[in-house]
Amino acid sequence: METLIVPASLNNLTDIRNYVKEAASAAGTSKEKLYQLQLAADEIATNIITYGYSGKGGEISVRGEIEGDSLTITLEDSGPAFDPRVRELPSEEDLSKPLEERAIGGLGIFLALQGVDQFDYRREGGKNVNILKVFLPKLA
Amino acid sequence: MSFQLSTDAQQDEARITLGGELDAAAAPQFKDAIEQVAVTSPKRLVLFMDELAFLASAGLRVLIFARQKLGDVDIYVIGSKGPVLNTLKMSGFHQSVYLQDSYAT
Repeated sequence: METLIVPASLNNLTDIRNYVKEAASAAGTSKEKLYQLQLAADEIATNIITYGYSGKGGEISVRGEIEGDSLTITLEDSGPAFDPRVRELPSEEDLSKPLEERAIGGLGIFLALQGVDQFDYRREGGKNVNILKVFLPKLA
Repeated sequence: MSFQLSTDAQQDEARITLGGELDAAAAPQFKDAIEQVAVTSPKRLVLFMDELAFLASAGLRVLIFARQKLGDVDIYVIGSKGPVLNTLKMSGFHQSVYLQDSYAT
């Protein structure tokens, strides 16, 4: 698929989710996987816009690739290096706490990482490269 | 699908109906609605989510904000289903709210 490049603005999250929807439709993913992939891409992009670029702008590129039995969505940005995998995620104990005792942070990355079958990150050429992968149902 | 929201505060109860896609761009509208209904000091917050198609963590954070802002109110989530309900469960929020299919009006 052609790469989508959008300014890093929360107003463009819809475009990113729509791009993921197109990619997922082309790949024939289930509705559930489509949603999880949209949520993961949305959360990673939100994190890039809010914390990576700190609201100062920049660009996010999104690329969908179908390879064999998987669909990969890759998000790239030029913000400071950030590997979502090293972010401390809510523990089982945190997740069972009542709302008044909940920490605000970490939920987005948690949902992103939980929602996809495989998540990879690398820093490459001064860019953060976030790779979200879901496996496709095998054709009979 | 854009985000839609309507509020209705009456006596001890504040009702907010959410529809469309609740992402980080839309979450401030939801937060504003919580602040708006907080003025009436409701005892119950009822969130109608039948028509909510997408819920990101920014929306979940507004629920935490609601709890902080409104104090010890009962929070009802009505009609959430599919992946939105799944997100509420995955993040453990279902343990802090009353999940119901419908609500007597």
